[in-house]
Amino acid sequence: MRTKKAVILLASILTIVILAGCNGDKVNNGGAGTEAEVRELVYATAKDINDMNPHLYPGSMAAQGILYESLVENTPEGIKPLLAESWEISEDGKTYTFHLRKDVKFHDGEPFNAEAVKLNIDAVQRNASKHAWIKLSTKLAEVSVVDEFTVKLTLTETYYPTLLELSMTRPYVFISPKDFQNGETKDGVTAYHGTGPYILEEHVTEQFATFVANEAYWGGAPTVKKITAKVLPAGETTLLALQKGEVNFVFTDDRGTDSIDVDAMQRLAETGDYQIVRSEPMNTKMIVANSSQASSPVSEKAVREAIWQSIDRETISRTIFSGTETPAETLFSSNVNYADAGLQKREYNPEVAAKLLEEAGWTNADGTEIRSKDGRQLAIKLYYDVNSSSQKTQAELLQSETLKIGMKLELVGEESSAIANRRSIGDYDLLFNQTWGLAYDPQSTITAFTSETAYLHTTSGLPQAQELYGKIEEVMVSTDEETRKGLYKNILTIAHEEAVFIPLTNGSVTVVAPADLQGISFKQTQFELPFERMSFE
Amino acid sequence: MALYTLKRVGALTPLLVVISFLTFVLNGLSPMDPAEVVLHAQGVPTITDELIAATRAELGMDRPLLIRYGDWLLASLQLDFGDSFITGKPVWSLLGPALLNTMKLTLVSSLFIVVLSIALGVVCALKEGKWLDLSVRGVSFLLTSMPAYWLAALMVWYFAVKLDLLPTSGMDTAGSYVLPVAVIVIGYAGIYFRVIRSSMLSNLNEDYVLYGRACGMSERKLTLYVLRNSLQVAVSVFGLAIPIILGSTVVVENIFAWPGLGTLTVNSILGRDFPVIQAYVLVLAVAFVLFNTVSDVMNAAMNPRLRKEL
Amino acid sequence: MKLLEKLMKDRLAAASLAVVAATLLIGLCAPLVAPHPPNEANMELRFAGASWTYWLGNDHLGRCILSRLIYGIRPSVLWVLAALGAAACFGAALGFIAGYFRGRIDAVLMRICDVMLSFPGYVMTLAIVGMLGAGLTNILLAFVVMKWAWFARVIRTTVMQYADADYVKFAKVLGIGHLGIMKRHIALAALPEISVIASSSFGSMILQISGLSFLGLGIEAPHAEWGMMMNEARSVMFTRPELMLAPGLAIIVVVSAVNFLSDALQKVLDPKLAVSGKRASVRIGGMLRGLRKKEAA
Repeated sequence: MRTKKAVILLASILTIVILAGCNGDKVNNGGAGTEAEVRELVYATAKDINDMNPHLYPGSMAAQGILYESLVENTPEGIKPLLAESWEISEDGKTYTFHLRKDVKFHDGEPFNAEAVKLNIDAVQRNASKHAWIKLSTKLAEVSVVDEFTVKLTLTETYYPTLLELSMTRPYVFISPKDFQNGETKDGVTAYHGTGPYILEEHVTEQFATFVANEAYWGGAPTVKKITAKVLPAGETTLLALQKGEVNFVFTDDRGTDSIDVDAMQRLAETGDYQIVRSEPMNTKMIVANSSQASSPVSEKAVREAIWQSIDRETISRTIFSGTETPAETLFSSNVNYADAGLQKREYNPEVAAKLLEEAGWTNADGTEIRSKDGRQLAIKLYYDVNSSSQKTQAELLQSETLKIGMKLELVGEESSAIANRRSIGDYDLLFNQTWGLAYDPQSTITAFTSETAYLHTTSGLPQAQELYGKIEEVMVSTDEETRKGLYKNILTIAHEEAVFIPLTNGSVTVVAPADLQGISFKQTQFELPFERMSFE
Repeated sequence: MALYTLKRVGALTPLLVVISFLTFVLNGLSPMDPAEVVLHAQGVPTITDELIAATRAELGMDRPLLIRYGDWLLASLQLDFGDSFITGKPVWSLLGPALLNTMKLTLVSSLFIVVLSIALGVVCALKEGKWLDLSVRGVSFLLTSMPAYWLAALMVWYFAVKLDLLPTSGMDTAGSYVLPVAVIVIGYAGIYFRVIRSSMLSNLNEDYVLYGRACGMSERKLTLYVLRNSLQVAVSVFGLAIPIILGSTVVVENIFAWPGLGTLTVNSILGRDFPVIQAYVLVLAVAFVLFNTVSDVMNAAMNPRLRKEL
Repeated sequence: MKLLEKLMKDRLAAASLAVVAATLLIGLCAPLVAPHPPNEANMELRFAGASWTYWLGNDHLGRCILSRLIYGIRPSVLWVLAALGAAACFGAALGFIAGYFRGRIDAVLMRICDVMLSFPGYVMTLAIVGMLGAGLTNILLAFVVMKWAWFARVIRTTVMQYADADYVKFAKVLGIGHLGIMKRHIALAALPEISVIASSSFGSMILQISGLSFLGLGIEAPHAEWGMMMNEARSVMFTRPELMLAPGLAIIVVVSAVNFLSDALQKVLDPKLAVSGKRASVRIGGMLRGLRKKEAA
């Protein structure tokens, strides 16, 4: 008897579910949240926002960018005031005097003044070894308080990108001195009070972080009152969450990872709930070769050139990116300052690539599939970000192309942080990377050629390495525009000739946002978005 | 009984020591030199061989293996597993909350597995060989042969997207439990219900049932007796199931973005965050051993005949 | 052969055996069966639907899905089988040593077995993959490391039983090849339980290896593997759900066949389990152990 009842019960439950399914078809397939409540933005992020200490590097830059601000801002029209209203540069270019805004308070109510600026910059400088990639950190001699709202920076020598580097998302941004631990920030801070348009309200590790509008923001309270960063695995999970309205905002992340497939994004926009906004090309996506390990085949120029010529950028752009990213032929696209150096384009040409290998002594005359030289196989490891399906696809395509010319690529997918770590210890043959974006190119990316945490291992094996480093040192301190142009041209030519930075496509920042969100714009860097300028219709 | 418990717990200590030692040695397999890692974490720009040697000495890595193991064990007992390579935070501050979240998922799932497998097991045993028994067994067979992620994708697509009833991922509301729990329950209930069923069946064939029937005892009463005896198996089975589920939520957590151990571990492996991996292995192995012991002791308490088996 | 005969009486078991055998055969002869090279990329055919030349369509690199499915048998099924075999040999050798020499060697080996058995399978695999890096070889290595102990135990018990048998004692007294006698007898006596252990873990191992590949911890590109194919389909799961279908169904069919076969084997080889036993307590103990076996996969 009882079993019969159970059967009936089960059957009826099933019927209900199936019926509900039929109804579900007719209703909608999700939307961008309910209209009635206060509208907020919930963006998907593949990684936790992590440590929000603005003087260290683990944190999410997009989140740090809305909490903290720098003295000056980098815009398409050049350097503009931000926390500093105006500034003077001395004749010799060694002293910068900043006049601060007087109406700025930290999120905890502490006043933002010259003293706070000095405390913050001094704290950064006491941890200088971490910031070596920013040349300013090695050239800053002293920060002095002139009066309550005037602060003076003294350099050891002239350094032309000083204002550019002061405009960056980190480390020269300001956190309330009350949050310091024992007068320092390098071992962590007690809270995250900046001066920016948003305040960190809650952060649950690996789940979400919420930011609320700073009503006392000196630039006027932002209209989008709440922003949530929700941790979601990249790919279909994010797409689903967008469809259902669990998140309503997605953008290209810190590491240049688009979490959603281009076609899927297009389909989403076709539903009318979402819009897609793309920035101008911001950077160059590339494969970086390690030149410093003599045992690795990629320490040879011919091998690197062969790889360069095995990449069919047109096809990549057309099929993988559906034309949303354009092929890149040089490290910097020609709209980047100083980058128009008239470099020779290397065409996609597998025959030439094969010939290059042959001439360099990599042969497979004995009929083997993989070329070898002195008993060594032409096997190379390429590391890609597991969260980026486009990197994986490109890697696989390249793998199949290079196999045809007798080169064996082994693909290894890892988290972006592990790849960054490999880059800094030189434990790689090839890895996917990107230039740092309009605000940083070319000067920071080029300075990074000499930095251990960035591209030192990429460049140090080049025969012209010392010449290259000398020129980089020189260009950064030169005050004459024409000299600078000449030096940049030399530097870019060496890098291009040696083929250590193998360009793929020009990347841009892509935003998927609710269709009625207004004022979506971009900054000069791929790392941040100006949320404070956005508003709902 | 006390003796049995004592013996069981006594056997536990050396086992735990060996397990912890293995975990410790496991870390030696990692291709990265801890000294180098520490230097990079400190952001030292140029790392020389002398500096590495100095750091090794500072870290006490030049001392004998056993002494280092002792120190490590002592620290681990205080939940000090070192700092994560990637975030720089103490490992336990990542592992602790994740363990808690996975525990929640595991316990809820286990509860449903228990209820469902007992219900199905009993019904199928009573209807042995009938269409109900056959079809339930058939379906459960198919479901246990399904890759969890495939099933998960299917269910997300139907219940979360098509019907728009449940959230697709995360751990925000009670609703977020439904899909991950369902996937785990479907995967395991099929296995455990068969255990209950066959235990019921073997009990139904016992002499006492025959005797009871001969004495004219009502079928209903007999079923209750059989059920009670069969539940003994259930208890020990589920004692065992909990740690197994704890360890195998990896795939499910990843698909549903559950902020638990599985997600943490997979991310740590892909990010080569060795201290986190090591701590995960240790914590789960210890949990597994402890649950095993508890379930054995409980089982022995209910079934004296098993006590001799040690 | 008697075994096979018995098995064939069960129609479902026969069908399962046919499916498994066919899968193995197709996997072995992949180069002959597959219509296209599995790794040949052709971006012009990216996500192309089914056609006469490409029966199951093409994937994100325009590779032939059918060919990849066929080549995928090798890591998904054949290599798992090989790992199982390696674990069985290794376990058998150690089990024989333990059972034959007894004493201290036995004690030490059995302690190690206890430790191995106390590590949950998934955790052990993740530990090895985590430390040595992702990849098929490391997963297979992990399988061997965590499986051998099961086999070692079974062999040890049988060795102990037979070492005391009268004819072995007799042979010992005579000082003639008692080892040879034992080997034959032990192999025969242990076969049922070994094949039950092996077949019951086979299915879950197939599931596990594909699960790890799905998470990106398994096989490296460009090799085809069913879990990997699903991983690749995952990024377009809701725009092109059909890509999940073929590898998913392949896994379900093979794993169900293996599981059915394992059940049937159990019934044929272990009549104790099939006939309603009178000794309930022993059965419960046995069942529990069986369960642990299943789950340690």
